[in-house]
Amino acid sequence: MSVPVLYHPAYKTYTFGPEHPFSPRRLEMLLSLLEAWGHAVPRRPLQPATREEVLTVHAERLVRRVEGCSVGEVAADVEHYGLGTADTPIFPGMDEATRWLVGGTLEAARMILRGEAREVLQLGGGLHHAQYDRSSGFCVYNDLSVAIRHLTRAGLRVAYLDIDVHHGDGVQWIHYDEAEVLTLSLHESGRYLFPGTGAIYEIGKGAGLGRKLNVPLEPFTQDESYLEVFEAVLEPALAWFRPDVMVIQCGADAHFLDPLADLVLSTRAYQKLFLRMREYVREFSGGKAVYTLGGGYSLDATTRVWAMLYLLLQGHPLPDRLPEAWRQHWEGQLHKALTPTLHDAADSIPKIPRRPEIVRHNWGQVVRLLELVKPYWT
Amino acid sequence: MLVRDVMRRPVLTVDERATLRSAYQVMQDHHIRHLPVTRAGKLVGIVTDRDIRLAVSPLAEGGPRHLEAAVGSIMSQPVLSADPLDPVEEAARLMRRRKIGALPVLEGEELVGIVTGIDLLDALVILTGVEKPSGRLEVRLPDRPGELGRLTQFLGREGINIHSLLTYPDDPKTVRAVLRVGTPMTHQVAEMLRIEGFNVIWPPQKKG
Repeated sequence: MSVPVLYHPAYKTYTFGPEHPFSPRRLEMLLSLLEAWGHAVPRRPLQPATREEVLTVHAERLVRRVEGCSVGEVAADVEHYGLGTADTPIFPGMDEATRWLVGGTLEAARMILRGEAREVLQLGGGLHHAQYDRSSGFCVYNDLSVAIRHLTRAGLRVAYLDIDVHHGDGVQWIHYDEAEVLTLSLHESGRYLFPGTGAIYEIGKGAGLGRKLNVPLEPFTQDESYLEVFEAVLEPALAWFRPDVMVIQCGADAHFLDPLADLVLSTRAYQKLFLRMREYVREFSGGKAVYTLGGGYSLDATTRVWAMLYLLLQGHPLPDRLPEAWRQHWEGQLHKALTPTLHDAADSIPKIPRRPEIVRHNWGQVVRLLELVKPYWT
Repeated sequence: MLVRDVMRRPVLTVDERATLRSAYQVMQDHHIRHLPVTRAGKLVGIVTDRDIRLAVSPLAEGGPRHLEAAVGSIMSQPVLSADPLDPVEEAARLMRRRKIGALPVLEGEELVGIVTGIDLLDALVILTGVEKPSGRLEVRLPDRPGELGRLTQFLGREGINIHSLLTYPDDPKTVRAVLRVGTPMTHQVAEMLRIEGFNVIWPPQKKG
């Protein structure tokens, strides 16, 4: 059974301008690559989320300001709401553009609730930094939390997994005291990287205590260490929590080519990660999951990682090389060379001299994290 | 950041005639380890939970005291104190140098608060902590006038908001500035700074 893929051309209206890294070009490259392989993604009859749906997780005062910015009526205090900054600039129609992405992720959740699909791939969204009353880090509204809340209100228990290189702070804080939402974020340590949170001692509060997990990783963490901690944390956490459904943010910015962060994963790690993830979905959450996109700012790497996610979810074999015509077209567009193969060339992967120290540090974080949360797993 | 920003108030005190037993009970009830001691409402000494435990133990010099002995007989005096307008680092330096765990805070003769090592740790967390979504930048600057100004002006021109800024001596000729800035794009900011001639330590240059 193939996995439904959600996409609508309106997703491409979520854009902060030609110089901004969060670019719709990533989506264009991905869609044209899939098409070149004979897997054209059909557009779906999707709807933008309504204002009321956004208000299930966001403060009305934030929504009012985004709506204002959307039509050029910029309130004097928008900076306090994370709008009009260098990373989340104002653009015409931003309210509706974001509601399209929220609508897609929400529809993925509804399809699972209606029993139409067990897994859904949403080709957009993953706006995990947006908080209750604040846009942040390229994220205007939080599509993930709107979908998660829709699922929990329907009585489901949700495990949220975030492999974006940045901490999934918005989702964590929005559900921080909720017992029915387990959040798991692996990211580069906030000691260095935006947003700065996601330390192991952020474990939830009230009913959510022990149900918010963070694995902050050392800069220059490589494949093996990442996969090792991924398994060491996810297996016990999911085996204990037993979610009804998983929501997974598949940011591709932990790749070594990414210009915004400092982890050095290769496409081989992503392949293993996606396969392992799917095993966990089957084993621990009844085979039900929503997959979204997220960060990923190297056009070259992000396109290949997300193409691989698509192919693996559909059960297609992974081609060795990318279509020549596709590559030439995009090299012409971008004026730079692109990797000709789906996987990274072995000699392109950086060598990290501090490796043993990094592996040791990451493992230490996992040990301490599990010590912190396990007492609450009763 | 000043002592008045981190001190605890109101302060619990005991009169010098109070018994060791009752003073110890006050500490237990309120989960505190330091009690300023007063005479006619004026600060005359300070006593800690360890002072009391030692005084009543067989290890005490001259043998154990009775639990009904007066606090005044074992208190430390004169008391080192802080002023509410002292910078926190001044209080920290004094406590470190004299190896003490708390400073009563006096405004003239009036006891207005108390500051402990724990409060200073809180201050450290606030000074270095992440209050808002931000990324880290570290820049090594020549130790001479105008260098920090050049850095902050540059960030200001680029529209980058600085959430926190710490500087400390790096070697005899340079100062290290550690900033938290409100953007996920610290790599790009670092590149711009390098082009401007700044010595950026973090984030490192990425190949790719």
